[in-house]
Amino acid sequence: MDEWQYKPAGDHGLKPQESLRSLKRETGLVASVTQAAWRLAVRGYLRGYHRLRVDGREHLPAQAPFVMVANHTSHLDALTLASALPWRLRQSAFPIAAGDVFFETPAMMLFSAMMLNALPMWRKSCGPHAMKRLRERLIGDPAIYVLFPEGTRSRDGSLGRFKPGLGMLVAESSVPVVPCYLHGAFEACPPKGKMPLPLPIHLRIGPPLQFADVANERAGWQDIATRLETAVGALRERNTP
Amino acid sequence: MLGIHPVAFWITVFIIAVLAITPLIFLALDKTGKLSPSLRTDLWTRYKSWVVLAPLMVAPLLIHRLTAIVGVGVLSLLCYREFSRATGLFRERAISAVVVLGILLVTFAEADHWYAFFVALSSLTISALVIVALFADQPKGYIQRVALGIFSFSLFGVCLGHFGYFANDKRGSAFLLSILLCVEMNDIFAYCSGKLFGRRKLAPQTSPNKTIGGAIGAAILTTALFATLIHFIAPGTAVDRPQHLIALGLLLSVTGQWGDLVMSSIKRDLGVKDLGVTIPGHGGLLDRFDSLIFVGPAMFHYIGYFLGVGLDQPVRVFTGN
Repeated sequence: MDEWQYKPAGDHGLKPQESLRSLKRETGLVASVTQAAWRLAVRGYLRGYHRLRVDGREHLPAQAPFVMVANHTSHLDALTLASALPWRLRQSAFPIAAGDVFFETPAMMLFSAMMLNALPMWRKSCGPHAMKRLRERLIGDPAIYVLFPEGTRSRDGSLGRFKPGLGMLVAESSVPVVPCYLHGAFEACPPKGKMPLPLPIHLRIGPPLQFADVANERAGWQDIATRLETAVGALRERNTP
Repeated sequence: MLGIHPVAFWITVFIIAVLAITPLIFLALDKTGKLSPSLRTDLWTRYKSWVVLAPLMVAPLLIHRLTAIVGVGVLSLLCYREFSRATGLFRERAISAVVVLGILLVTFAEADHWYAFFVALSSLTISALVIVALFADQPKGYIQRVALGIFSFSLFGVCLGHFGYFANDKRGSAFLLSILLCVEMNDIFAYCSGKLFGRRKLAPQTSPNKTIGGAIGAAILTTALFATLIHFIAPGTAVDRPQHLIALGLLLSVTGQWGDLVMSSIKRDLGVKDLGVTIPGHGGLLDRFDSLIFVGPAMFHYIGYFLGVGLDQPVRVFTGN
């Protein structure tokens, strides 16, 4: 007879606030309901208000793990990318969000964890340790990450340089990285704007890239960032209306 | 509804007095220099937790039968949450949903004062758990998933649910407060008598700090306390006879200590120190309320056998015509 296996929640033993911002946080029954409700509301909003169009869904891998990367111009970006995922993958998907914005106050923490299912990335002190944790979870869970390698929202809508940190997650692994380009999000929801405007958003998903043969060290990470930047840039070119 | 029962009133006064005097005792002990800094911090953390916890436990019992029932329902849900996150059962969404639904329905049956439904929910929820677990079509681990679901529903839905049902009795608040007080005192008595007379370990593998001396001391003191309280709650009734008063007291003390040992066993098996971090200084809710779990059904059915529970109150409040 097999021994029973108990696996406590990754965030077991953490205080509520620590648990909300922990990279090991696991969704329970309540959060899975609030996240599903949030997802339905966001999908309805994006389709109704922004007439969201998604091309290239066939490029999304059928199961986790994988990473979606895209240009970053607005707060709608992560919501749009996550909503493009099929329903059955929703609980594996984690937007990687700036800790100093999304995990600073208790109210924001609650929103980021219970609605977005986001995991924090601390821009000021994002050491290799945190990246290692994220990588372990990506492959171990397995999980789906939605992240923006520019590291911040573009102030003018152009595509900025991709930071190499992303390479630490996928170098020397078979985890596919799906390049995406978001068109129209900047106009619909610019960084300085207050209310989103009812302008169309178009998401184009490209064929995934893999980096099993790229060395998991500094030069390799830079190589991965450059290749993904090119892939996302290429989607933009094709995307000009 | 009928005003506060005198025994419930005096227990409340006692609890307030204890909470008021405790800081003075701490300060006096501190003056003698007998408290190490870590012990002092620990005592204050525990005390502060009690200051929050005691009103949260006592007030719902005093206000109305429905607040008591909802309070027990919330406690059951929170206990299930801790248990399922410590065992990993929370990842089985369908099973978790059935357990939560079961607890909600148990709470409804109590609020409705519908005993037949309250009883029926045991077999119905267990059946639902066994069946719902089929739908994933993954036989690997099926028995473990189902068994953990049934185990947790039995402990937190059915057993704890008996406290909620007690609230339907006109003496409910007095019974419930007496039980709560005696279960907590039982822990304290066991600790103190263990310090004084404890030599032989009670169950060294399960809980190394418990001694036979502590268990016996607690049984004697708790029996005396609980018997006195029941005598004043139900004077002249069928349970107000020495043999029943003693039996009730012993039963409360023993089932309370067993509840403690059960949760220790669960923690040892899981390899965790505490089941949660809900209450500073105590650990999780389950670490605090473990002793209550089996006391509920034991008291409910013993008292119910002789006196009935809520027999003179309207039944099927919501579902009846």
